[in-house]
Amino acid sequence: MNVHLSSTIQTSDGADGSIDVNAVSKSYGSVEVLSSVNLAIAAGTFVTLLGPSGCGKTTLLRLIAGFIEPTQGHIQINGVDVSGVPTQKRPIGMVFQNLALFPHFSVAENIAYGLKIKKVAADEIDRRVARFIGLVGLDGMGDRRISQLSGGQKQRVALARSLVLEPSILLLDEPLSALDMQLRRQLQIALKDIQRKLKTTFVFVTHDQEEATILSDTVVVMGDGKVQQVGTPQDIYSNPNNLFVSKFIGELNEIKGRVTASGRDLTLETEVGPLTLPASAAQGFTPRAGDEVVVCLRPEHLHVAAPDAPANGSVALAGQITDCLVSGPLTHMGIQTGRTILSSVMMTQAGNAALPSASPCKVLFDPAHARVFAPLSDRLAKAFGEQP
Amino acid sequence: MNSGERVTFGKFLMLLPMLILLAMFFTSVVTLFSNAFVERGGFSFKYFQQIIDRPDYHVVFYRTVLSSILVAILAVLFSYPIALLLWRANTWRNMLLIVVLVPWLVSLVVRTYGWIIILGPKGFINAFLGWLGVIETPLKLMFNDIGIIIGLTHVLVPFAVISILSSLLSIEENLEEASRVLGASSLETFRRVVFPLSLPGVFTALMVLYLGSVGAIVTPLLLGGITEKFVGTQIHSEVMSSFNMSKAAAWSLCLLALSFVSLVIIKLIERRALRGQE
Amino acid sequence: MQKMSPLTRTLGICFLFLLPAPIFIVFVASFNGSAYIQFPPESYSFRWYVEALTDARWARAVGTSLWIAAVTASLVTVISFLAAYFTLRYAPRINTALELAIFSPLFFPHACMGVATVALMANFGIVGTPWAIILAHMMVVIPFSYRPIHIALRSVDPDLIRAAEVMGASELRALKDIILPMCRSGILTSLLFSGIISFDEVTVTMFLIGPDVTTLTVQIFTFIQDDASPVLAAISTISVVLTFIAIILLERVAGLSFFVQRSGS
Ligand SMILES: Nc1ncnc2c1ncn2[C@@H]1O[C@H](COP(=O)(O)OP(=O)(O)OP(=O)(O)O)[C@@H](O)[C@H]1O
Ligand SMILES: [Mg+2]
Repeated sequence: MNVHLSSTIQTSDGADGSIDVNAVSKSYGSVEVLSSVNLAIAAGTFVTLLGPSGCGKTTLLRLIAGFIEPTQGHIQINGVDVSGVPTQKRPIGMVFQNLALFPHFSVAENIAYGLKIKKVAADEIDRRVARFIGLVGLDGMGDRRISQLSGGQKQRVALARSLVLEPSILLLDEPLSALDMQLRRQLQIALKDIQRKLKTTFVFVTHDQEEATILSDTVVVMGDGKVQQVGTPQDIYSNPNNLFVSKFIGELNEIKGRVTASGRDLTLETEVGPLTLPASAAQGFTPRAGDEVVVCLRPEHLHVAAPDAPANGSVALAGQITDCLVSGPLTHMGIQTGRTILSSVMMTQAGNAALPSASPCKVLFDPAHARVFAPLSDRLAKAFGEQP
Repeated sequence: MNSGERVTFGKFLMLLPMLILLAMFFTSVVTLFSNAFVERGGFSFKYFQQIIDRPDYHVVFYRTVLSSILVAILAVLFSYPIALLLWRANTWRNMLLIVVLVPWLVSLVVRTYGWIIILGPKGFINAFLGWLGVIETPLKLMFNDIGIIIGLTHVLVPFAVISILSSLLSIEENLEEASRVLGASSLETFRRVVFPLSLPGVFTALMVLYLGSVGAIVTPLLLGGITEKFVGTQIHSEVMSSFNMSKAAAWSLCLLALSFVSLVIIKLIERRALRGQE
Repeated sequence: MQKMSPLTRTLGICFLFLLPAPIFIVFVASFNGSAYIQFPPESYSFRWYVEALTDARWARAVGTSLWIAAVTASLVTVISFLAAYFTLRYAPRINTALELAIFSPLFFPHACMGVATVALMANFGIVGTPWAIILAHMMVVIPFSYRPIHIALRSVDPDLIRAAEVMGASELRALKDIILPMCRSGILTSLLFSGIISFDEVTVTMFLIGPDVTTLTVQIFTFIQDDASPVLAAISTISVVLTFIAIILLERVAGLSFFVQRSGS
């Protein structure tokens, strides 16, 4: 997709486009949907809200948009408290999950609507509409009815319609969820491109962690109405705050266990046998002897080696290969270790191509890569559909 | 739509006119009570006592209720084949629907007037039978219960058609096909599938028809004359000739109570009939 | 046409065409040439139409009925629209209760409605004025106006109005630009349907007329009781034609499917 952007498009210089969510809670009746959410979004960043269904992402967007008011706390936009400010007066744009295009308007009329409301001169409207139709790659389709568009084209109209008003903040509620993979990739690139050029603050909701990782400057992981962690995608992946975040982002081996002793080192009795890890593996809490914990290891941190390979300072576990799949450069393996099956991803090497099933092996990992977390609370476990 | 949006007083004003209108309606019902129970500044049960005591008034209530039951049943019987016809007539349905809607929406005064022309002593039927030489003196088709029942039934059939047709149209097409595929004859299919599923429409029709008939004034007055009194015509004459609002209000309340009791009974029958259909 | 037993079909067709029969008879009788109603007429003429159109009483009654119907239909449609919109967007929880209240006039026998409204209007001191008739008609037609509008509004994606608001439109502007055009057929159904009902109402209206104000149908009713001049057939035919035009209009602009739609959501 070509993205043309003439230099006349104004960036949000004056309006800075920052959002501050301060201790915001929202309840419907006795059900608390968001509980004291704090979030500072800097101007011009691409922020993604990521979290399981029902965790309150849409609710947070609706609060920022002003459709609903917080039960507690307040929201600042551009440093100004917007409590009581109606939607129309907030410097925001929004792309709805179901797009909400006006079916009785043409493509151009949909894009022009906001400008008409702002009483922009007719010829200026025409010029800007034409420019944005081009920007999203819909040249020549201005007169089409909405019903005559494909899913991806509708998506672009929805984007153009919001962007033409040059809001300093754009809220996007799963705008790409209805599209197939290829179109999705295309539009993701286009989105990121547009965002960079316009320097608009994007608050983007998605279920797709890969999408979040590709697009965002900042990822906000939400769970059970709370912000679980805020950080760069890389940061969240490598240093998750808790089991919820680490489960939600990326693949994960979870080893359940119990602390037998804690001090400088952490001694555990686990599903894969006794383990000794540095105390720093437990972040954000201090485990005590007797605590139930979960040891987390990313598959790419597990090395599978011959049973007689030297440990070299790594932790070594004896196991048995259950399956081995080579897909191009990567080899995925399942290893029965103790009472659980660990999965490992390694670069494909001459030696490990299609190892026979049931052959004994050794699993090695650097203890610095292991993370120890407290188990999920029942409510967070429910978010994953797990039985507590 | 989603709840939880901010409601300011300004927005609440949108609901206000409707609330005022509904409040007026309920006030009018309250006024009915205050008229019925109050006479010369004091509480009075006089007109209710009168209704309880006078046998000629009992006759009026009996006639009204019995005729209305008959009318509701007759109208449903007449409307069922029409509803089936419209249901089957996919391409013609809109045209045929107009044939039902026009009589429904044309004023019942006009429709009743048509019946006067048909049933009157010098009306169509008597003229025709006289011409055939079948009769010498005109048949008395009007100013009696027959006239009232014919008129009311005709007035109410269109609504019954619409109600039953709505039910029929909500039957899933493949349900009927499934029954046929399973080997049921068309009569069997009708008895076991179509008819039971149309029952909600039939009962809605029965209720609305019964209410329409019990509360009728125009048709019984024009076709029944002043001797064959209906509750509605009695109320009409109390207001328009005797200017006795208290009595009219008392009669209205009795009629209202009677209607509610009847509605409950019809509802109970419906529940029995529909049991095991869920 | 799908299969249907010939007996049922014949019965259906016979009964169906019996429905407009009395109206048709009035129509034919209106061209009667003699001084009293005859059916079938022995001679034909337009004299009763001439008489109907030259008699100021009838012209006035037609005028009154038309403007009362227009005012009733417009008011009731606006009220229903606002209430349905408010309930769906801001207070879905009161929807059931509100509908119960709105549909309750349907469960009142018309005779009771007549006495109740005349009692209320007498308290207001407005019996015999057009306003009494309009208020009463509004109470009678409100369910028929609310239902099509509610059905139409319910099917509009609620995010459309929010989208307009995000683009800076005030709620009023968004209603006008987005919601109104999308509910067009529901609104037109409400307007025409309640207009027709108001135009043809007698039972409640006859309690509320006064020496200066009467509607067409009530006047026909009064005249039938007094004398049976064939001019009534001509007048009745005129009222049928007006109703018929409104129904055809309704079919053109909004379709008739609304009438045979189940109310369940
Ligand atoms: N109007 C409402 N009344 C009551 N509960 C509500 C309302 N709106 C949302 N909720 C509840 O709030 C919770 C969060 O809803 P929200 O729509 O914000 O979730 P989400 O994170 O956007 O989920 P999804 O990814 O499925 O879109 C849900 O449990 C939902 O049932
Ligand atoms: Mg959502």
